[in-house]
Formats: sequence, C-alpha cells, structure tokens
Amino acid sequence: MSMFEDIPVGVSIIYEGERIRGREMQVELGGPREQYKFELVQARSLDEVEDGKITIIGPDIPGLKQGTNNPFGLLVEVAGKEVEKDLEGVIERRIHEYLNFIEGFMHLNQRYDIQLRLSKKSYERGLNTFNLIGKVLYRLFKSEMPFIEKIQFTFITDPTAVKEWYEKAMRVYEERDARARGMSDDEVEVFYGCTLCQSFAPTHLCVITPQRYANCGAISWFDGRATAKVDPKGPVFEIPKGALIDPVKGEYEGVNRTIQVKSLGEIQRVQLYTAFGYPHTSCGCFEGVAFYIPEVDGFGLVHRGFKGQTVNGLDFVTLSDLTAGGRQVDGFHGVSIEYMRSPKFLQADGGWSRIVWMPSEIKERVKDFIPTDIVDKIATEKEVANLEGLRSFLKERGHPIVERWIEAKPVEAEAPKEVAAPTLELPPGIVPIQGIPAGMGLKIILKNAKIRAERMIIRVERGK
Amino acid sequence: MESRESGDLVKRDLSLKIGEFSSTLGVFKDVEIQVGRILEEWEEPLGPTPFPDITALREWDLKLLSRYKPFYMPFCDLCCLCTFGKCDLTGDKRGACGITMAGQQSRIVLLACCIGASAHTEHARAMLNHLIEEYGRDTPLDVALNTNVEAPHTRLVCGFRPRTLRDLDDALSYVESQIVQLLASTATGQEGNNLDYESKVFHVGMLDHVAMEIADIAQISVLGFPKGEPEAPLADLGFGAIDTSKPMILVIGHEVLPSVEIVNYLMDQGLFGEVEVGGLCCTAHDTARYNKRARIIGPISWELRFIRSGIPDVVVIDKQCVRTDVLLECKKIGSPLIATSEMSCHGLPDRTHDEPDKIVEDLVERRIPGALILDPRKVGEVAVKVAMKIAPRREGVRPLGVEESGELAKRCRHCGECTRACPNNLPIMEAMSLARNGDFTLLSSLYDLCVSCGRCESACPEDLPIVSMINAAASKKIAEERSKIRVGRGAIQDVEIREVGRAIVFGEIPGVLALVGCANYPEGGGDVARIAEEFLKRRFIVVASGCAAMAIGMTKDEEGLSLYEKYPGVFDAGGLVNVGSCISNAHITGAAIKIANIFAKRPLRANYEEIADYIYNRVGAVGVAWGAMSQKAASIAAGCWRLGIPVIVGPHGSKYRRMLLGRREREEDWMVYDARTGERVYIGPAPEHLFYAAETVEEAIVMVAKLTMRPNDTSKGRAVKLSHYIDLYQRYYGEMPPDLHLYVRSNADIPFTMRDQVVAALEKAGWVEGKIASPDPTLLERLIRRRL
Repeated sequence: MSMFEDIPVGVSIIYEGERIRGREMQVELGGPREQYKFELVQARSLDEVEDGKITIIGPDIPGLKQGTNNPFGLLVEVAGKEVEKDLEGVIERRIHEYLNFIEGFMHLNQRYDIQLRLSKKSYERGLNTFNLIGKVLYRLFKSEMPFIEKIQFTFITDPTAVKEWYEKAMRVYEERDARARGMSDDEVEVFYGCTLCQSFAPTHLCVITPQRYANCGAISWFDGRATAKVDPKGPVFEIPKGALIDPVKGEYEGVNRTIQVKSLGEIQRVQLYTAFGYPHTSCGCFEGVAFYIPEVDGFGLVHRGFKGQTVNGLDFVTLSDLTAGGRQVDGFHGVSIEYMRSPKFLQADGGWSRIVWMPSEIKERVKDFIPTDIVDKIATEKEVANLEGLRSFLKERGHPIVERWIEAKPVEAEAPKEVAAPTLELPPGIVPIQGIPAGMGLKIILKNAKIRAERMIIRVERGK
Repeated sequence: MESRESGDLVKRDLSLKIGEFSSTLGVFKDVEIQVGRILEEWEEPLGPTPFPDITALREWDLKLLSRYKPFYMPFCDLCCLCTFGKCDLTGDKRGACGITMAGQQSRIVLLACCIGASAHTEHARAMLNHLIEEYGRDTPLDVALNTNVEAPHTRLVCGFRPRTLRDLDDALSYVESQIVQLLASTATGQEGNNLDYESKVFHVGMLDHVAMEIADIAQISVLGFPKGEPEAPLADLGFGAIDTSKPMILVIGHEVLPSVEIVNYLMDQGLFGEVEVGGLCCTAHDTARYNKRARIIGPISWELRFIRSGIPDVVVIDKQCVRTDVLLECKKIGSPLIATSEMSCHGLPDRTHDEPDKIVEDLVERRIPGALILDPRKVGEVAVKVAMKIAPRREGVRPLGVEESGELAKRCRHCGECTRACPNNLPIMEAMSLARNGDFTLLSSLYDLCVSCGRCESACPEDLPIVSMINAAASKKIAEERSKIRVGRGAIQDVEIREVGRAIVFGEIPGVLALVGCANYPEGGGDVARIAEEFLKRRFIVVASGCAAMAIGMTKDEEGLSLYEKYPGVFDAGGLVNVGSCISNAHITGAAIKIANIFAKRPLRANYEEIADYIYNRVGAVGVAWGAMSQKAASIAAGCWRLGIPVIVGPHGSKYRRMLLGRREREEDWMVYDARTGERVYIGPAPEHLFYAAETVEEAIVMVAKLTMRPNDTSKGRAVKLSHYIDLYQRYYGEMPPDLHLYVRSNADIPFTMRDQVVAALEKAGWVEGKIASPDPTLLERLIRRRL
C-alpha cells in the first residue's frame, strides 16, 4: 500500500527537479513579488501540539485567484522527548525537500524568502487544499524523523495574519542565528563525526563542531545532531570530545581516539584550528582551500567557483589535488565557507591576520566576519596578479604579515659547507617542460646516458 | 654552449656541446652530451601494470568473468574460418581443430572487437601522423579547461602523462602492437579456453579507449575544438537545416581532416556563407566542433535518405560507417564522389598527385565518377570547386515525387520479400498496397521506423526504390526536420568532477548514464531521446556521443525545442553532455576514471586494476548502446566491461553472440572484501549484469535504474537509487520489483516516501536487516587495510 494512496498526485523523490513556469501555475505562494512570506518550525511541549492537526488561516487554495501571487506563511509545530529547540532549523529545512517531492508543486529557498508554486495540472487532478499538502508533510516528517512524536501545521494566507507571524518569525531567525554563531566549541560536550566521504577518501573523518562546519559546507553541528538522532547507525555520529589538550590548536583526546579508529590508524592526531602539524584532513568535496604561500609566509584562500589562477599561479583544481584524499598536508587545508566566518578560523596560525589573498567573490561573502582592521589589507584577483604584486600590496597596505617578514629576517640559513657537485646549466627552453609553479623543483634522471669525450686530461695541481 | 636539433640528431631531445667547463673533478673540454629522450617523472609513483601485455590483467578479468559468466547465444552454429571447415559446433561437438562452441563464439567476439579497435587505432594513427607532419611533434597538448588529468586512459594504461603529440605516438605504438598480438591469437589451432578469449576481448576494449583518447585529444589540441566547455555552442541539426539553394558538400564518415580543409578553403576564399557543408555520422560532429556553422544532418542511418534527396552536389567520404554502395548512390543523383582515405577507395582512380583544377574538370565533366585524393588540403579545394560548378547544372535533379511513388507502387507484386528482408520487419508491402490507391499515410509513417538500410530494395523483384518512395511520402516531415544539438565539448573538466563528487557521495545524483553507439533502431531518435529525458528529469547525469547524441537532438517538444535546449550542458545532475564523436567516448570512461583519481586520490598511473575495482564498486555509471551496426560499438563496450561499467544494448543485442549476466540467486558470487577489516562479506547483486540485451525501451529504462546500484552506496544514495528503480518498475510492470530485498541493506536504505510499501514487500520476501553488508568494498585482496 502506498503511503500516499489518498493523495491525487504522485509523491516521490523523482519529482524533486521539477520546475513550474509562470504560465503553468495555478497559484504562487510567497515569491519575490510578496513582501510577507515565511516558513517556521517551532519546538513545543507535548501538551501544546495536537498530532496531525492542520489549520488554515485565510482562504484555502480554491479561494486564491488563478495565476496570482499571495502572501503566505507555514508554521510547523513539533514536540517530542528528543525534540530540542536547537533542532528547529534542521527540521525546518526539510520542508523544502518534502514539498518538492509533490508532483506539480515547487518550493524554492527558505525562511523569509520562500517561493512556492502549484501547477494547474496537479490542481485539476485534485490537489486543491492545504489539507492534502499538510497530510503529505505529516507523513514524510513522521517517516524520516521518527523522533518527532507530535506535529501540527498551520497554513496562513490571510494577509494580516501572515504579516503578524512574519514579524515573529524574523525575530526567531535572528535569535537562532545569534545562538548558532555565538555557540562555542567549549560549551558543548559532544562533537559530531561524519564519514560519508570515506567512500571517496577512506581515511577522512570530518569533525563537526559548533565552530567548525563540515568541509563540504553542508553539515553544521546542529545538522549533525539531528542526523545522528535520525539514523544512529549511520555515517554521522557523536564524538565525545574528551579532555582538551590544546585550546589554541584545538586538540581533544576524544577526537584523537575517534580519528585513530575511523582512519584505521592512519591518522593519529587532529588539531582543529590549524593548517600545520596535525591539521584536520581534507576529503574531496571541501568548498575551499586555504593554501600556504611561503614567499609571504601567509595563506591564500580559494573556493571551488573560482575559475582563474590564484596569486601563486595555481588554479583551484591543482590546489585541491594537493589537498584532497583524506591526508594531512602541511599548508594545504580544505575548508568550508562557513568556517571562514568562525572565530576559530585557523586560530593557531594567526586567523585572518595571516590571510593575504582571496577571490573577490568570496571576500564579499564573508566580509562581515573579517576583522575591520584587516579586511582592506587582503588582496584579491582584482588588485594583484602575482606574488611580486602581492608583496608590494601587503607592504603598501600595512598587512600585519609584513611584521613577520621583519622578524624572520635575521634567521638566515647558513650556507652549506660541502663543495658543490659539478653542475651543468641547460640552455633555456631545451627541456620541454613549462609552467613549473613556484615552490616546486625539477629532478632530472639520465638513463643509459653515454657521455663521450674525445680526450680526458687529468692534471695534478699544487696548492689545492 | 650551444644546442642544436638537426641532421642526424633530429630524434634526440637534447644535444649539448660544451666548449669547456671546470669542476672539482677536473676540466672538461669539447664535451658533447646527447640524450635520446627526455622523460618527465612526476610525484605519482609508477603502478604495477605499465603498458600491460595480454595477460597482465588476466586475473582481474577472470574475477569479473566468474561473476558474470558468459552466456553464449550462437548467431551461427558453424565455424568456417579455416579450410578444415565448415565445422558443426552444435551441442558438445568440437571442430576439426578441437574448438568448442563457447571457444568459437568468444573468438568471433574477439575478432569483432579487434576490428572495432583497429578502426579507432587506424583513425588515431592517421590523425596523429598528419598533425605531427603539419604542426610538429612537439606541439603541446591542450585538452580541457581547469584540467590536469588530460589523458586518463593513457596515464592509467601506459603509465606516463603525455605532453606533446609525440608522446601520444608512444602510446599509440603500444596499442598497435597489442592489437596485432590479439588478432594473432585468433588464428586456427591456438587458444583453447573461452575465458581466455574473453579476457583478450577485455584487453582489446581497454586498448580501444586509449586509441580513442589519443585521436580525440590530438584533434582537440591542434584543431581548436571546444575544450570541455559545458556551454559549447548549439549547432543546426537535421535535413531541414540545409539551405538547398546553395551548393552543398556532403561529408560522411569519421575522420575530420578532409572536412576541416573544406571549411578552411571556404574561409580562405571567403565563400563560407555561399556553400553549405553538412555531415553524416561522426565527421559531422567533428566538423561542427571545428566550426559550429557546419550542419549536422544526422546519424549514419540518414545516409541513403540524404543522398537520395539529390541535395548534395558532391559527396566526400573518409572512413568507417560509409555505405559501401555510396558510389552507386552518387551516380544515381549525378554527384561525384571524393574518397579521401586508404580505408575506402571504392575503385576510384588515385588523383592525389594531380593538379586540383585538372581533377575538378574531370569530375565536373563526368569523365570519372569520382576520385581518390589522399591529401586533405587538395580535397578541400577540389570539393569546393566541384560543388560550385556542379550546383547550377543540377537544377533538373529532383528527388522522387509522391505521385511518381504512387505510380511505382502499382508495380508491387505483393510477394512480401521486402518485409522479410527488413531488419525491423516493417509492413512495407501493406504500405505499398495503400500507396497505389493514393493513401500514403502508412508509407509516410515508415519514415520514423525505417533505418534506411536498403535491404528491401535489393530483395524487391521489381527493383522498386522503396527508400526513395518512403522519403517522398514523408517529404513534409523531412522539410521540418530541423533542430539544435550542442556541439561536442570533448572532455569533462577536472573541476566538474570535483563538483559532482559531493552529490554522488550524498546520493543526490543517482547515476551517470551514457547513451552511445549507432542510431540504427526503429523509431529513429525517438527511443534514445525518450531514455535520455526520463533520466534527465530524474537528475541523472546524461552523457552522449556519436549518432546517439544526434538522435537525442532530433526529437523536439511541442514548442520545437530539443533536449539540448532544455537541459544544460554541464556534467552535473540533470545535465546533458554531448562529448562529441565516436572517439570522444574515451572522455566518458575517462570521467569515471577521473572520479576515482580526483576524489580518493587513487593513483592513476599504470594502476588499472585498482581503478577498475574502484569504479566497479563505487561509481554508478551505466552505458546504453541502443542501435545496431558497427564492431566499434563492441570494442567500446569491452573497454567499459574491464572498467566494471555495465552496458545495456538494444533488441539487436543477441547478435553480439554472448551476454555477461550475473546470477543474482547465487550468494557466493556476490562476495567482496571489506577493505577496512579484510572480512569477506555478501553485498547483494550490485551491479547485477555487465552486458545485457533489453528487448524494449521500457525494459532498458528499468535496467538502467537498477544497474546504477553499487555496494558502496551510502544509505541516502541507495534510497535515492531504489526510489527510481521501484518507481520505474511499478510504472512498467505494475508491481513491486521482485528482487527488492536483495538491494535493501538496512532500514536506512528504504526510501522514506515509499516506506510502507517497501516494508510490506520486504516482509513478504523474508528480508532480514543487516544480511547484506555495506563495506568499503573491493575485489582485490591487496587493497585490504588491516585494523591496527
């Protein structure tokens, strides 16, 4: 028996990619032309929620004029012993996925930015009341998230009520964000581990903490918590963080124990907030890379969407090749964009004061989280094209990294004592290899090389 | 110090002459250093099988072949290859040399695959030699944007990374020598074991992909084809795209060099807008990759149709997939034929060394029906001049009209030979009966079903031009046959591979479907376009090449849009990627190889077995070759099998003589090592088959969804794949799949939109959670990483 026998249209993952164009739509809810729209999940106590109840405030679908857009709000109230306030956001994001499972129903964006469309075809087939939509959501939530004991839905189309709830919802989102960003790794007892990427990078484990998002940018600490609840045997699980070994580098006993087991002994220690020594491993799906630039002793950042060459001449593909594979590579570090917004971001290496270059697109996205005294001192592809340009840019702008150069100067390496072996300089262009990036050398092996000299003269010289 | 590269030193990479240099060891005067070859080492260690010989990967092959035991379907019960024969091999009989039916069938499969691989290898050789001669051996390769792994097959098989055209030569020489050995093994009285023949089939398939890669990356690098651009331009496709008021040059075949020179000549003379250049089969793809204003008329099955239309003023053929009666057909419409390859000379006089104008004159004056010209540049000039001179004189040549067809139909004797000769058993005789009374509807509807092989005409005792009659009845459809195709973009960029990795890991992309091969099946493009759209809607990655890619573009929706206009060209969920011609197939398997290399950092270099094991157990890729014809399809498929990529063929599939079918009920067949623990565990029959013939489109669609499942799927991924499989199975068979319980490993695998029905079906089948494992799967013991 299908779970959706009484729903007049199909409900399945196969409808997820459906797009409903303007002239195919019966009605639009929310969308760019409406100021007031929202969807909101609220955790309540068990006695506040009536399981399965669906309320409609304002006209139901047939009462909305064909082809129009309308103010819209969806309030979902959940309760259960395991349901925590912290999980509201995670549950809320499921609405997007579930509504898109409905044939002829499209859902875009989230929170106060939603846009929903119902197709004429599905409307004509009988999908003509929010009660049916509510029923689908009810069954999907209960099927995927059994820890939700009770759930009720309120669909709001009455403009005054939408506006009223919209303002409440905006306050909730703000509080939620403030809490999420304000939450620190110190105040929780467990982190979450994710081994999903082990199918591609077998020694990789993502350690997801409140202040370090998963490398892919898709799993926050809250997401990890919900996922572990939904599927306790699944790839996302609790890591009791154990005793703190190093607060600056972010090393924990519990994390080390877990990575040893999960990497089958290949990785022994992980320090969460550094790109050197024992850095967090990098899978293959990280959103960005923090890469060390020895010439200026700072880090560049680059994200997947950046198609050009970074300041050291390497593109994202090359950098990610150097980074990926579940290894710990000094100075090549896979990161999420959200981690760049964290106060712990590369904390042990100097954080933002160590960042010297990043694509302008990503800089724009995380600008508000870069300390104001640094933000203009970080170069982008618009200001500099190469390392030489970068050096002068940093000097000119007074980037704090410049002080490190001065400190570093006196420690000049002593010249090697051994006598140099005979070297042979090749005329330029004779070796057909071009574009050797800075920091990489060449080694030439001559096999079966015969050197033919017509005469060899050995002369003893006095005084040498 | 001076360097030189001349005279007898031309084959040396480095030649130094040093007047004098001193070191602690001494002073050296007039020293000359010569180095034969400078090879580039890189950080990736050399794997176990560089330049593998025939038996180097035999163990891997036998692993696959024990799971997918060859199932032979003799197409012919006799062996007539030697003068002992014919030998009857039915039952348990053996031939005079001792060969069994299984041995003979696998030997014929090997022969077919050697033919196919040789065709691509010869293509690569001709292309490479020409480009080296024209542009120099040190011309660097430049294959795709945002890409480091420029030649995944060459790196994987040969163990080096090619940088220049000459490097490709090294890989190609290896392929050539291997194919000779494989062919030698089919000599009478040699190989006695069918599985060894099958292993050789896999070997030649692997070589074929190297050869295809060489041919394509050479032409991409030098001829300026799109370099993996997802938004490669859209080109015109179809009969109706040709402006018939202009002189028209028709190019047919696979090797683009003569067509490139035709385009070059037109550009140089400023004539490009005045002459139409249109192609059939893969040459059309590659000409459009060279210049998007060249028209792609259609797949190979349009050859007879288009020539009979009388539109081409000159026909230029190169190699492969050219009708062997092309000269006869050209004579019918009074257009000269220019043959350009040693592969297909068609009895024409060799005019390679003659003055172009002299050749033009002889062709235009019809002193000769055609010419063999083995110099692409000369072909360019001659073809253009001939087309421009012949066009005005051909006013009178018009294709057969409807009324004439009706008159001709009256001669039909109702003997039914036509229908018997038709590979698709079409009701030609009935159509003739209606047509003689002026009802052309059935005859016209045959246009969509007919592959224009012309066998009916040969069989007809009245010599009726049946194909032309069908054309005449369908002339309105033909005129409207105009749509858009995305020009072949070549390789998949490394950055795209990295982009989809996460979606594959998380199961958001249920699989990669490759639609390849010839378009010779009833319904023309309809079937393949339907399969493509089904999976595009389901947000699979759909990749296409060759005639299949054209067929996809020929179907339009009610607004006149083809799938290429409706879906983006990205290698991502819901993307439709046309890689290009037949030889571009190497990029499809190359993408699977790159997934293993770029994500898991599995070393690629000469590491075939490990990479194949990775793809087989983890990458949900499936190939579909829906139409019949070429041996090349067989060898391309063989290259997929060795990499562990299942292939589905159309109803003609039994003619491949054997299938590679898994036996899902035999639990002992479906064991793998868990690389994390070394334990041997049962993983269920995923993927169930390696080579499967589907009788209907519906069966193929359901099978695609099923064969994307892999033992490594995450729960989310498996749930997504099961949703598609169950949904499609229910749609076409009206019930739950009977083998569902073999693919659900734990409760988390159950698609939650179908929970109730799946749980009920599992209960009925006596399913127990946890019986099927989800390990870190491998077939290779050496890849076990033991727990500390």
